Amino acid sequence: MEFVNPLTGFRLDGRRPNEMRHIRGEVGVVANADGSAMFEMGNTKVIAAVYGPREVQNKSQQLNNQALVRCEYSMANFSTGDRTRRPKGDRRSTEISLVIRQSLEASILTHLMPRSQIDIFVQVLQADGGTRSACINAATIALADAGIPMRDLVTSCSAGYLCTTPLLDLNYVEDSAGGPDVTVGILAKTEKVTLLQMDAKLPMDTFENVMQLAVEGCKAVAQYISEVLLENTKQLESRRGM
Amino acid sequence: MVGLSSGEKHFIRGGIAQDLRSDGRQRLNYRPVSVEVGVIPQANGSARVRLGATDVIASIKAELGRPDPLRPDKGKVSIFVDCSPTAEPKFEGRGGEELSTELSVALQRCLLGGKSGAGAGIDLSSLMIVEAKICWDLYIDALVVSSDGNLLDALAAAIKVALSNTGLPKVTVDLGTAPDDQPEVDVSDEEFLQFDTSGVPLIVTVTKVGRHYIVDATSEEESQMSTAVSVSVNKRGHICGMTKRGGAGLDSSVILDMISVAKHVSEHLLSVLDSEIAVAEAAAMS
Repeated sequence: MEFVNPLTGFRLDGRRPNEMRHIRGEVGVVANADGSAMFEMGNTKVIAAVYGPREVQNKSQQLNNQALVRCEYSMANFSTGDRTRRPKGDRRSTEISLVIRQSLEASILTHLMPRSQIDIFVQVLQADGGTRSACINAATIALADAGIPMRDLVTSCSAGYLCTTPLLDLNYVEDSAGGPDVTVGILAKTEKVTLLQMDAKLPMDTFENVMQLAVEGCKAVAQYISEVLLENTKQLESRRGM
Repeated sequence: MVGLSSGEKHFIRGGIAQDLRSDGRQRLNYRPVSVEVGVIPQANGSARVRLGATDVIASIKAELGRPDPLRPDKGKVSIFVDCSPTAEPKFEGRGGEELSTELSVALQRCLLGGKSGAGAGIDLSSLMIVEAKICWDLYIDALVVSSDGNLLDALAAAIKVALSNTGLPKVTVDLGTAPDDQPEVDVSDEEFLQFDTSGVPLIVTVTKVGRHYIVDATSEEESQMSTAVSVSVNKRGHICGMTKRGGAGLDSSVILDMISVAKHVSEHLLSVLDSEIAVAEAAAMS
């Protein structure tokens, strides 16, 4: 299958190889949560809610020198094309929960909140490839909305390699084509990598290009997220009458 | 989980007794309803309904299936509710399962009628394509994104709106010559038939706090309730189903009174929802 048109160089959905899908972020979508956000990357749509820092619910998990960060990823029954009813806590969602938690823990200043707990819940409403990235981006905004101290924004984006072209931000069709899928998460300012995952094989020098492309995608997402957060802060400020 | 001090509890109860609740509403007023349609593009129909801070999404997927041999002239509908942990941390893991099941069963009871399917709020015979051979299976999936009380009413409203947003593809059937031939089915991807939702009921939950009834209780008010009766009422004022929740016992005359309150409130709610649906459909078209 032609994933990149050899004549025009456009992808199946009309994007250029280094073009991201349309992204949109919204702060404060769940009223009762301490912080929440919605993030869309094309047709992928996720909601993240953050509760905490609060008292540790299960005392045996309490850490005396830092905060306990927990994460749960769940998919709605209607999020995929074919309707499936999946049990909670299957291997895939456990793995994604772990990945999200680890990449965000890198930026949370957990040592400032000992003996407390921060819960991050991400809910996928629509899945069209790149749910991991979208979840991390949504969770970053939600953490910022909750006022959790962080070193930096963690943003994520994926890239792949199909038809001898590195492609940014794969959608579901491109993702299931069998080519490599590199998901990268970075700390936006320091440009340190907190998440890196790849499946399928890829020559060393190509990998460098694909990863570079994904990092560029992360930076673009970070730019957008900081705009969203700034806009939100300005609104909060004007509501306070400042 | 709502943690309230005794002063706050007293304030909530006192406000209800004086017909001025803590958010400024009267006892029989709903919070403002906001409706959005077509939120899930892959589904046949979908809707998002917000009642104050309560936020639910309902999606409807239609698949072709075989009717139940015991009820050859009716289609099949199943309702599943899922409580997302984003709504409340206690829904984490399997924590939301009990509430999800309670809500699914209550919705099934109020919208789909008994086992025989007779008296169902949703007209199951309109899902029939060829008797005893082909019918539509409707899968109604609802997700609670944010919860601040009165989930059942919000879910029923979301399902009603999602059904009115649902387009079922037009199906042409070639029955074949032999009577036991598997019929050939052609599903159109251009022509859609609108689903008739005028008979689909709404649910009004009347919550008893102290000696008074309130509708559309927030989670703080729900923590103070003694009992709640959920009544599903359709446009003609018929009662399609009922559930009582909460531990305290109720006098049967009180139940009848609560039902008449629910019926009275449902008229107003139906007209509000109908106009919201019209606005949302117009917004989705533009």
